Amino acid sequence: MTRPQRILIVEDNALVAKFYRMALERAGGFECLVTENVPEMLEEVEAQRINLVLLDISLSNAEWEGRPIDGVELGRLLKERAAQPLPILIATAHAMAGDRERLLAASGADDYVEKPIFDAQELVDKVRSMLARD
Amino acid sequence: METFIEEMKRYLGVTEEDAELMRKLGPRMEKYLPELAERFYAQIPLHPNAFRVFTGGEAQINHLKQTLQAWARGLFRGVYDEDYAAERYQIGFRHVRIGLEQKYVISAMSIVRSYLYDCLLFEFPASDQRMRAAHALGRVLDLDLNLMCESYMHATLENLRSINEHLERANRELDEASRSKDEFLALVSHELRTPLNSVMGFTKLILDGLTKNPEEEKELLREVFSSAQHLLGLVNDILDIGRIEAGRVALRLQNMNPRAAIESSVALVAVQAIEKNLKIRDETLEVDLPRIRADEVRLRQVLLNLLMNAVKFTRKGTVTLRAVPSHPPGFLRLEVEDTGVGVPQGKRERVFEKFVQANPSQARRQEGSGLGLAISRKLVELMGGSIGLTSGPGGVGTLVWFTLPMVEEPGASESSSQQQGVVSTPATS
Repeated sequence: MTRPQRILIVEDNALVAKFYRMALERAGGFECLVTENVPEMLEEVEAQRINLVLLDISLSNAEWEGRPIDGVELGRLLKERAAQPLPILIATAHAMAGDRERLLAASGADDYVEKPIFDAQELVDKVRSMLARD
Repeated sequence: METFIEEMKRYLGVTEEDAELMRKLGPRMEKYLPELAERFYAQIPLHPNAFRVFTGGEAQINHLKQTLQAWARGLFRGVYDEDYAAERYQIGFRHVRIGLEQKYVISAMSIVRSYLYDCLLFEFPASDQRMRAAHALGRVLDLDLNLMCESYMHATLENLRSINEHLERANRELDEASRSKDEFLALVSHELRTPLNSVMGFTKLILDGLTKNPEEEKELLREVFSSAQHLLGLVNDILDIGRIEAGRVALRLQNMNPRAAIESSVALVAVQAIEKNLKIRDETLEVDLPRIRADEVRLRQVLLNLLMNAVKFTRKGTVTLRAVPSHPPGFLRLEVEDTGVGVPQGKRERVFEKFVQANPSQARRQEGSGLGLAISRKLVELMGGSIGLTSGPGGVGTLVWFTLPMVEEPGASESSSQQQGVVSTPATS
């Protein structure tokens, strides 16, 4: 049996992160890492232990080089540091007109889903289709 | 450069010869001037807009008759220079200001003109002399009327310019208001979606059979319930601040002792404090509380907001409530101090804005709507006080203070507490 694919979940709301983890683990059989610790993320990404990132835009706790960092900046940083192509899926509650294009362009992410995200199977399908692109 | 009056004289053909003729005419016309004034004011007050001008009764009319004679003497002085122009120029501005139209002054001047022509008939039986005088007088009267009409136009333009400026300013303010409404809507949408994600996500996990056992389902349902509660709090706060900003909050101001509001707020927050092992110290008990003018329900809301915040952002230590009468003079200052995480210097003003938290990492964002301080500030300001935030003693923790006006006479009788006033919030944009 092959090793399960690992998904990095970056989400500042503990309950939402909990839902992502349960949905991805149980409906998709993925392994999840939930963290807002940037050095830890980079280490995982650089060591090629992450197959996809599920990324929130408003991050309350993430810091990089002594200052707060949001999902847009973090998306670019993770892409830059990844040793292999790293798909990034933005999941955000910023859902006003124009947010989608703006956020995708600014973060370098590959796809975008709007909160509320509540269907485990849909989320899993989305992640799988992104993983299959590479 | 040619001045306006020089240009006018050139257009109308008013010559130095005309001026000379007018000067010679002056003494002979003097005897007609009282009658000129009589005729003028016999007819002019009948003008439909005359009520705007003739508000001073007989005394005003008599004074105006004198003014008209003085004007006619000026006309026959034969000096049509800058000073003359400047004086005539004021008339349009005066009339536009009181809303009197140009046609009024034109019809008035035609009375003057026909009467003065009649006078010339008596004074100059020889027709060639009469014709020369009439032509000179006609040109000078045209000049005079032109100056007034020009002043009307300038005054009207000036009026329009100021109306335009006013409209442009109003337009900018509307744009600003609509932009901040859009921003607020975007923030609200963001804040609502997060708890909604938990409500829908966990419910769907259970419905999809992705849970392991009834215990886990129960745990998730508890999260759903707390997220739904949070949503309800958000909706209430959003409606509250919407009402305040739209000016639809009626305060019931009354003279009151703040003791009851303080005690009930402290009692409510004590439950949470005990759960977190925090001490609540009510130092207002050591003070003889003055009577204040406030809305009791809203005062309780502000106190509760501040006390809840203090408990929420404090991990260990004490939350202290303090009262300082006459600080500043005429106001009771209430302080809520905690030994919690504190608010960085740069964020002390911003935390009173909507949906701004100083240290989002320190508390689960679930716990507050992010509107408590914004609502508190509006309410305190509506009650005539102010609100602010500093660090606690020694730079530790947070101290939020607010002031409310004390009732003026310290020995106010009991009946004064029955006086009630209703104040509507001013609409803010």
